[in-house]
Amino acid sequence: MSEDLKISTSREEGEKAVVVMRLNGSLDANTQSALEAKAKEAVDSGAEYLLLDMSGVDYLGSAGMRGIHAITNLLSPDDTSMRSDRLKVINPSPAAAKIFKTLGFDSFIDIHGNIDEAIAAL
Amino acid sequence: MQLKVRADLGQLHRIREFVTESAEALGAAPTSFDDLRIAVDEAVTNILTHGYGGPGDVELELTADGSDLVVRLRDRAPSFDPRLAPPADLRPPGERDKPGGLGVHLMKSMMDKIVHRSIDSGNELTMTKCGVIGDARPSIGQEDD
Repeated sequence: MSEDLKISTSREEGEKAVVVMRLNGSLDANTQSALEAKAKEAVDSGAEYLLLDMSGVDYLGSAGMRGIHAITNLLSPDDTSMRSDRLKVINPSPAAAKIFKTLGFDSFIDIHGNIDEAIAAL
Repeated sequence: MQLKVRADLGQLHRIREFVTESAEALGAAPTSFDDLRIAVDEAVTNILTHGYGGPGDVELELTADGSDLVVRLRDRAPSFDPRLAPPADLRPPGERDKPGGLGVHLMKSMMDKIVHRSIDSGNELTMTKCGVIGDARPSIGQEDD
């Protein structure tokens, strides 16, 4: 685990098993594994949907995107669709949004402005 | 501005800070800082994970060349030219196990020129961001970090 990235997790009340993970700090090659471990913990505890609040991400690199990709596979291992239905990103910082766009991840991972909007889209 | 470091992935944050401080001191436009940080982070990550396969010595130097900002990285890892890496696999998640080539794709997207050459027992990677030094004055109180 790295002090460079803080991850807080909360479960949303409702019909669906939704877990929100709030990321604060840098998501790079050093912290990618911490994110994946937290996501696996949530999935192992029954989460079917993960919402990643990335408003506090001050740095996002390709390793972080590989981590996010790994989480989509974790949530939907047999899914061959063009979109990730079980992972949503909330309010990414400008630095994070730029990387999503540059690497084309915004074309298959939904990005929402807030939690309510993301939950309504599940 | 030069940094010589026995680098590991835990120092990426410090290396990115050095890039910001150096670019600012050289008078680069603050709008270029993110791109420079990304390019250097990806290059160092490649050196450590694909070159050394762990921690290793990295020299990082930022200089001004007219209005261009030049980043030079030297290492002692086996020869690796990132420009020759396979193109990025940007297919959706369902069509691949894991994406590849993203780091090099980002480096190419953020910088205008990338030149690799083999040096004595290592690599030298020179990345140039054109036209970012000039009218822009060093900023005070940048937006992050």
